[in-house]
Amino acid sequence: MHHNSISIQNLNYNYPDKTQALKGISLDIHAGDRVALIGANGSGKSTLLQHLNGILLPQTGTITIGHYPMESKYLREIRNFVGLVFQNPDDQLFMSTVWEDISFGPLNQGIPQENLIDRCEQAINAVGLDLKDYAHRNPGNLSGGEKKRVAIAGILAMQPQIIAFDEPSAQLDPRSRRQFIHLLQSLPITQLIATHDLDLALELCSRTIILSQGEIVYDGQTEDVMYDSGFLHQHSLEPPLSYSRPYCDRKIDKDLD
Amino acid sequence: MPHSHSHSFHSHTDHHDNHHSHSHNTIAPTTRIVCTLIMVVAIVATPDAHWLTWLIYGCGIIVLLGMSQVDLFKLYQRFAVESIFVSVSVLGILFRDGEGIFWQWGFLKITLTGLLVFGSVLCKLGLTLVLMNLLTLTIPIPVLLQSLSILRVPPLLIAILGSMYRYLDLLVEEFTTMRRAAIARNLLAGKRWQRLVIGNMIGSLFIRTYDRGNRIHQSMVSRGYQGALPLPKSLKISWRDRLAFGFTILFAIVGQVAFYS
Repeated sequence: MHHNSISIQNLNYNYPDKTQALKGISLDIHAGDRVALIGANGSGKSTLLQHLNGILLPQTGTITIGHYPMESKYLREIRNFVGLVFQNPDDQLFMSTVWEDISFGPLNQGIPQENLIDRCEQAINAVGLDLKDYAHRNPGNLSGGEKKRVAIAGILAMQPQIIAFDEPSAQLDPRSRRQFIHLLQSLPITQLIATHDLDLALELCSRTIILSQGEIVYDGQTEDVMYDSGFLHQHSLEPPLSYSRPYCDRKIDKDLD
Repeated sequence: MPHSHSHSFHSHTDHHDNHHSHSHNTIAPTTRIVCTLIMVVAIVATPDAHWLTWLIYGCGIIVLLGMSQVDLFKLYQRFAVESIFVSVSVLGILFRDGEGIFWQWGFLKITLTGLLVFGSVLCKLGLTLVLMNLLTLTIPIPVLLQSLSILRVPPLLIAILGSMYRYLDLLVEEFTTMRRAAIARNLLAGKRWQRLVIGNMIGSLFIRTYDRGNRIHQSMVSRGYQGALPLPKSLKISWRDRLAFGFTILFAIVGQVAFYS
């Protein structure tokens, strides 16, 4: 595993209509980190994630993934290095069976047939599903939580060194969300989680990066920023629900004393 | 594509995959596709008014329907829906110019030639539709797509077919959701207005489809897709497949020869 998984220096990105989506982004993510990327709608989270996988290339600034600079000629290696889990699993599960979808990435990597079954079985087991029960199912007929798991299995089957999640808890019911949190906690892999579910960030990530209007406005300990409701409001965010309940307030007051 | 592997998991749990067929279990899907294609070509290439040929082909198809034990009601439902679309496109043939006026009303006239061609086209359509539906009812769509790639159908075409299959339900669901939202705001006010709103919905669905297509492509690219899926294992032909293939060609020729003799 590479020591510095992701290194971004002074990244800028403008949409075709000249709207600046990312302004001078610089950050480093180390191997084994689990980092929350927080921001309101339109703050640039998804645009930043798409840069990590080479779907968007830097207009100015540099990105280094492992030891590969983000350039067209390294895209194949970079996409094997960084797995991207999209917000809506229906965008990601495009094959007609679960098996075909999970094996899609490994087949593109050129994994031979004899290793394919093991690779996919490990991936689907890691997300708590059984290959025999799911292999022939149509992804369209799965529940939201199952779809999410299959989408993640499809990425895990590629054995990336980093997984970037775009709004992973969106569209999940409370139980699926809880299972999903356990799943992420169990994955021994570098994770970057773009979300506005601050409770999820608080539970999973010790480090948080806050994006606001395309700029990094905070990069530090998750717990430190979650107390600062004024700062969060300033950037169109709210403290986690677990902090806004009365017993939590008392806890915060006590801690502050 | 994991062709060999897909056969090791035979628990078709989805309703989409619940197609069973006794006569077809022994013949490879690729052979079934090729045989169907041969018969479709034979039916379509038959000159107009060769009724005996179509009668023989029709009898063959009825035997095949019996052997395959497909759900006839399901076949009828599909056939009925497809017939509506197809009939509209061939209706013009009935009113074409030709010899011998059979019926006339103002400028509208049906000639004997028109009637003959129309009848022939209907025969061709009916038989080919039943055959194609029999094929899709007896082979699960994922297996059908795999078989097409084994038969070296262009990968892009298969990718498009696969996406259509995968996303058809999703599109219908999105349309139903939009329609429900419109009904909740009194869409049913008037028939004309209703048509206009549904037209708008289809337009907005088209734009959404474009957006979704873009996102799906991004997710494919992010998993290393470079324009084509790796090709599955090559074709294996058993004696049953050879027999089915030979019999289909023989049957197609018998049908053609019968008319002339």
